[in-house]
Amino acid sequence: MKTPVIQTKNVTKIYKLGDNEIGALKGVTIDIYEGEFVAIVGKSGSGKSTLMHLIGLLDTPTGGEVLVKGKNVTQFKEKELARIRNKEIGFVFQSFNLLRRTSALENVMLPLKYSDVPKSEWKKRATELLELVELGDRLNNKSNELSGGQRQRVAIARALVNTPSIILADEPTGNLDSKTGDEIIELFKSLNKKGTTIILVTHDSDLAKIAKRQIVLKDGLLVK
Amino acid sequence: MKFSSILNSALKALGVNKTRTFLTMLGVIIGVFAVVSLVSLVKGIENFIVDRFNSLGSNLLFIAPGRSGFNSDPAIAFTNNKLEEKHVDLIRENVGSDLVAVAPSIRLGKKVIYKTKNYYSTVVGTNEDVRDLVSVEIDKGEYFTKEDVNVSAKVAIIGPSLVKELFGDSNPLGQSIKIDNNSFIVVGTSVSKGGAQDDRVIMPYTTMQDVLKVKNFSNIVTKAKNPDDIDLVIKKIELALLKDLDKEDFTVLSQASVLDSFKNILNVLSIGLAAIAGISLFVGGIGIMNIMLVSVNERVQEIGLRKALGATSKDIGVQFLIEAIFISVLGGLMGLGLGFLVTVLSKPWLNAEIPWWAIFLAMGFSIAVGLGFGTYPALKAAKKDPIEALRFE
Repeated sequence: MKTPVIQTKNVTKIYKLGDNEIGALKGVTIDIYEGEFVAIVGKSGSGKSTLMHLIGLLDTPTGGEVLVKGKNVTQFKEKELARIRNKEIGFVFQSFNLLRRTSALENVMLPLKYSDVPKSEWKKRATELLELVELGDRLNNKSNELSGGQRQRVAIARALVNTPSIILADEPTGNLDSKTGDEIIELFKSLNKKGTTIILVTHDSDLAKIAKRQIVLKDGLLVK
Repeated sequence: MKFSSILNSALKALGVNKTRTFLTMLGVIIGVFAVVSLVSLVKGIENFIVDRFNSLGSNLLFIAPGRSGFNSDPAIAFTNNKLEEKHVDLIRENVGSDLVAVAPSIRLGKKVIYKTKNYYSTVVGTNEDVRDLVSVEIDKGEYFTKEDVNVSAKVAIIGPSLVKELFGDSNPLGQSIKIDNNSFIVVGTSVSKGGAQDDRVIMPYTTMQDVLKVKNFSNIVTKAKNPDDIDLVIKKIELALLKDLDKEDFTVLSQASVLDSFKNILNVLSIGLAAIAGISLFVGGIGIMNIMLVSVNERVQEIGLRKALGATSKDIGVQFLIEAIFISVLGGLMGLGLGFLVTVLSKPWLNAEIPWWAIFLAMGFSIAVGLGFGTYPALKAAKKDPIEALRFE
């Protein structure tokens, strides 16, 4: 049997707010395999953001385990987690999160700066990916000179630049109008067809339908 | 992350906010500039004094009244002055064979009048031997003779400033000038050496004693024949003078020791000024810390993003630290540049120079300021939780 790219085994996350303990996740087990297009859906407060942070190795669970390519990373140190984030996970955020007043090319090259990829390859790789997201003619435009849709494409190119195992997209169409949002979704679909594993995190159950599989969360528990 | 990439990121971040970066730098620029230029100007003053002093002659010895030196009350030298003719004789008799010459010196500030014009001058009374010790070059006329000294001749040699102010273009030789209602004949003029020496009137010391009614010597000047014997000669002079005077009544100073005392005073002045100027460097450092803290808060999102993309806390900390050090070092270099400019511009008036230690000190402090005041903001940046940072929208 194939090993999942990302697994969570009965993960829990408890936040302490003063004397109160709030259980954001109350034992969630999921497997995500290579080439999948999965949507993590849930209303605000369902625990989907917390789950995304755990999958994205930005946070550590209170209980349970997180595995990347079969390797338990729960006890990893900050430095090792940073390395896995860099190599295995590509983030796409709702508000794009590009470096301001910095060119598209530089933005896409950013993850490479924290990787082992030799400097001589940075520009070539970044250019190829910007061409892939149809921004080959915008390489040197600064982030503030791009439209919302273009910015999100730059962010997607940036997420792909280190050939990660998964793309983790958090409400990627949330700040876009519906037409541009559709274009971004189409881009994700075509990337998935080429083999990229995509995890879409959203509160929008209609949008979630485009994924091949839905993971629905409610009050910190898996519903479906 | 490689250091060169971190450096690159840091420089780009600073480039985004050029005005702010420059204003932050200004504190360090002014601090380093103040340190460097003040030290350089004091050095210029030192050079000036050394030049003037050496132009007097070399290996001179001064016998001053009282326990003078540079630490005691100078008033004692005036109120309790016991140096007189017999002491010059004592030195000549006992130590004469070791000395080039012995010359007494009496100094008084006086108003010199010629016809309707007047000029405040230092009147110096001495003998004809003084020219073997101190260079007094005669421009026109003659220096006074031994005979003039013996008969208290009312003759005077005047400096170029007096010639210009009192006589203009006319020939001063043979003219009569008045000091305290006594007339003196100008027998010579001295060559310009710049500074106070140009303001002088020189006359036989006997004339000053008889006509201007000054009894005691301001000091006695002499010079060892062999410069290597200077310490021995000082001892001999002291022994000779102790035959008539108490230990407290006189001090023998060598030119070198006087110069050393001056240099010591100026060094202390220099360090003091540098320390005061250093305070502005410190304040500049606080400015850097302030702006870096603002910058960390402003760039929470960038920090979160970088961490999400694979930056470690160390990468982030180093980037912010480099930004702080860059501001302070570039500021330091600019301050140093301005200091050099002031030094070069002051050349026509003052032979100022920036000592090496001041350059190293200023740059060392700049780096230390960047490191010292950049560390706290850098640690703060490094500690930002990526989730917290990315939520900031």
